[in-house]
Amino acid sequence: MVKHIQLRGQTFTLHSSGVLYWKSRDMLLISDVHLGKITHFRKYGSAVPLNAIHGNFRILNAAVEKFNPKTICFLGDLFHSYKNKEWEFFESWVINTGVSCLLVSGNHDILPESLFEKLEMEVWPELVIDDFLLTHHPTERTPYFNISGHIHPAVRLKGPARQSMRLPCFFRSGEQLIMPAFGEFTGSHTLLPTPKDEVYAITPEEVIQVH
Amino acid sequence: MSQEADLTLARNWFDRQGWKPFPFQEQTWKTYMKGRNGLLNAPTGSGKTFALWFPIVLEYIRNNPDYKSNHIKGLKAIWITPLKALSLEIRQSAERVNEDLGTQLTVGIRTGDTSTSERAKQKKNIPDLLITTPESLHLMLGTKGYKKVFASCQAVIVDEWHELLGTKRGVQMELGLSRLKGICTGIKIWGISATIGNLDQARQVLLGPESDAYHNSILIRANLKKKITVRSILPKVMETFPWYGHLGLHLLDSVIPIIQNSKTTLLFTNTRSQCEIWFQKLLEKYPELAGEIAMHHGSINKETRIWVEQAIRNESLRAVVCTSSLDLGVDFAPVETVIQIGGPKGVARFFQRAGRSGHRPGEESVIYFLPTHALELVEASALQKSVKRKSVEDRVPYMNSFDVLIQYLTTLAISDGFFPDEIFQEVKNTFCYQAMTKDEWHWILNFLVMGSQSLRSYDEYKKVEVDEAGRFVVTNRGIAMRHRFQIGTIVGDANITVRYKKGGYIGTIEESFIAKLMPGDIFTFAGRNLEFIQMRDMQALVQKSTKRTSKVPAWMGGRLTLSTQMSKLLREELYTASLDEKEQSIEIRALKPLFDKQFRESIVPTTEEFLIETFETSEGFHHVFYPFEGRFVHEALGSLIGYRISLLQPISFSLAFNDYGFELLSDNPIDMQQVLDNDLFTTDFLMEDLQKSINATEMARRKFRDIAVISGMVFTGYPKKGIKMKHLQSNSQLLFNVFRDYERENLLFQQSFRETFEHQLEEGRLRIAMERISNMTPKWQACSQPTPLSFPIITDRLSRERLSSEKLKDRIRKMAVKLAR
Repeated sequence: MVKHIQLRGQTFTLHSSGVLYWKSRDMLLISDVHLGKITHFRKYGSAVPLNAIHGNFRILNAAVEKFNPKTICFLGDLFHSYKNKEWEFFESWVINTGVSCLLVSGNHDILPESLFEKLEMEVWPELVIDDFLLTHHPTERTPYFNISGHIHPAVRLKGPARQSMRLPCFFRSGEQLIMPAFGEFTGSHTLLPTPKDEVYAITPEEVIQVH
Repeated sequence: MSQEADLTLARNWFDRQGWKPFPFQEQTWKTYMKGRNGLLNAPTGSGKTFALWFPIVLEYIRNNPDYKSNHIKGLKAIWITPLKALSLEIRQSAERVNEDLGTQLTVGIRTGDTSTSERAKQKKNIPDLLITTPESLHLMLGTKGYKKVFASCQAVIVDEWHELLGTKRGVQMELGLSRLKGICTGIKIWGISATIGNLDQARQVLLGPESDAYHNSILIRANLKKKITVRSILPKVMETFPWYGHLGLHLLDSVIPIIQNSKTTLLFTNTRSQCEIWFQKLLEKYPELAGEIAMHHGSINKETRIWVEQAIRNESLRAVVCTSSLDLGVDFAPVETVIQIGGPKGVARFFQRAGRSGHRPGEESVIYFLPTHALELVEASALQKSVKRKSVEDRVPYMNSFDVLIQYLTTLAISDGFFPDEIFQEVKNTFCYQAMTKDEWHWILNFLVMGSQSLRSYDEYKKVEVDEAGRFVVTNRGIAMRHRFQIGTIVGDANITVRYKKGGYIGTIEESFIAKLMPGDIFTFAGRNLEFIQMRDMQALVQKSTKRTSKVPAWMGGRLTLSTQMSKLLREELYTASLDEKEQSIEIRALKPLFDKQFRESIVPTTEEFLIETFETSEGFHHVFYPFEGRFVHEALGSLIGYRISLLQPISFSLAFNDYGFELLSDNPIDMQQVLDNDLFTTDFLMEDLQKSINATEMARRKFRDIAVISGMVFTGYPKKGIKMKHLQSNSQLLFNVFRDYERENLLFQQSFRETFEHQLEEGRLRIAMERISNMTPKWQACSQPTPLSFPIITDRLSRERLSSEKLKDRIRKMAVKLAR
């Protein structure tokens, strides 16, 4: 289910649901949830299955239960578009979970800050904690180690007898870690690693370092 | 006026041209004038337009004897053509008759190319004869007040019906006709079709299986005797002729004398990329041909295509390299010779292409067959036989296409709205939806209104609404506008416009090709070498380049499968390899060196034998099976057998297939004796096993793509505006996964599987093939190296499917990440 890695001497736990747990800070990092996307599509006449809305919260709950963090930090694209009914689900989720939440906002996050204030959620364009720079878009800035999202990274694997598959992944390149997209009904983008990069593919059950 | 008197006008007109009406033309006139419907089976260039345009005019004259002084306004007839390109020609024929007879009838064209101002004019003053496409007809049904426009219509002619039948455009046509029948009293419906195997069924689909229209109809056959001669182009030295490949450039030199000895030659290729390459190579090797040859395919801009078509008529071109874009319609009298490069895969298609030459009645059609690899000579020989036997394929109509129905109902909802009870009767009377249940109908209505089957308080779904009168309508303008852009059933990869940086439109290429290009890459398109500069607003900007390149856009949908008829002929031909030379065709005799090599390593199977070959190469262990049933059946069979083997041992395969057989490639050998002992070719549990094989899901996923777009679940964006609706972009793959995880019972999701089994895997054919195989003696040949028969299959790198029963973790362990260059 999990894989532990060291970044700047700190322990981080990669989870197969695509979340990242920062042990010393007791913080859960989650990127690109794209809540509200399903309802947004339905509002515009595309009948995406309604039940998938609850899927997002089921997986969120499972991740919170597993790590029981003090803080959850969303690394952008938390909400897909304009406000719709899914926001209300999120509100009650935040209240019921009882964990304090932060948002580093992404390009999709166009909701007014007042909505977040009501939930006592802080919203930041970026965050610096210790040696770490948390952003939505991958960003290189010395002397920080950058953790980001936005890309929805995936990796293509090739094997003997012309086998091949594609899996979402955590992608580490130098002083950067890009997180996979968390949400249901979000796509992914294949990255081609260089020999120096580290790639942790996620399957429904496991996190496997493939490179 | 007596009926004979009615026809005099038409006969006199023919007389004045120095022609004599064919019996089929007279028969069509008479039948039509009696108020009956029908299907006319006549080839292109036979005068089919006059067969159906005349009675429309004659009927108008009968009802309006003062026609020369008194023009009665209003739509009289709709002429449907599957190709926009054909509309000009039809208009010319119609206008010629109008002028000569002084009818004052007007002819208008309305297609996707018709300008907005022209459309507005037509709205104010509808032409008497409207030439249009199935898509444009539906757009008109999506316009407010459409009933008034159509009310006076007396006839619908569906041209090239065989091209629409067996596609979702055909279903769209069925629905359009069902509405016209409902609003136009006394309307006559006629189809025109080339020869196909199921002409009687074609008439049923057109008119509705048990409808009054069908019972009051007739099938008329033109029966024009046409002599077709097939000549194979044989390589001079068989030993050096390649065992695989699909371009055929080895025989490039052989086409030159053919081109030179003929007024105009058409070279038919199977894909647009092959067309590009042939054109390029011909010019490279024979620069003197510059200006005398041209290229024609569906991605080249319209002006160029029209220019080429005109140049063929003017006899100003020696040869044109083309694709199926020249299969239809347009009458090219000067074409003397046709060359088919590579297997045409179907007999009907081959006949149609052959028929492009010697177009004048009574003239002989000559078609040359140019094989692209050695085994295709077997196909050539089989085609020779097919010409003698005149066996032609069926076009299998779609059933219960709920995606098209959802689109149609939305179309009605954006114009005047519809009452379900009225429309249900009309839809139920079509061929496609004859078996639809009331439950399914209600499911669809719920889907349109609620986007699901039950109402939930938090749902914000919005599409079709029900007003107080019980009418289903769309009130939201945004939804109506998006729907209008999406009307149609041809779903392709998103098309990217290719333009010169300095301006100038070149054509369109599928997005998947452009996505692979880096700025600075050179590629061949429209016969030119172009350098890719950048993407801007759904346009690829390029400039001319003098550098050479091997990159040619690969277009999707270029792959055809052998029809049942062709597969059978092909097997029969191949089995003659072990016969005495005297009983062999020249093509089979020419293949002797190849067969000798095959016999050294393995065998050429006879009628009673089912050949299996195994061998090892650096790629892994190859297991090749030869049913000779066409690629669709092989894809299904490979998937099925692969799945059944994977139950015996944890194993991963990649699956390749072509028209001759399929290959299971693995990093471990399969115990073939065990496969034979376990009777893996049984038809027991066929459907269950197929559904469990991963492949069926993958295929359904691909089918779902079209379904999602047609039913309006995926919005493809506004043309030319680029991606403005970013928050509404999704892809059907994602959508498919969400349905798989959350709403499997959805009828559209299930339709993707149904289509996979009925149209892709061809369940019926598969069953028959497996029964045939189970009566054969398996011949397992353990070979030391690849055989000539196996070569075209194992070298196929494009269409590999994958299948595994190993644990994901174990599979990943054997793999490596694809790295950046």
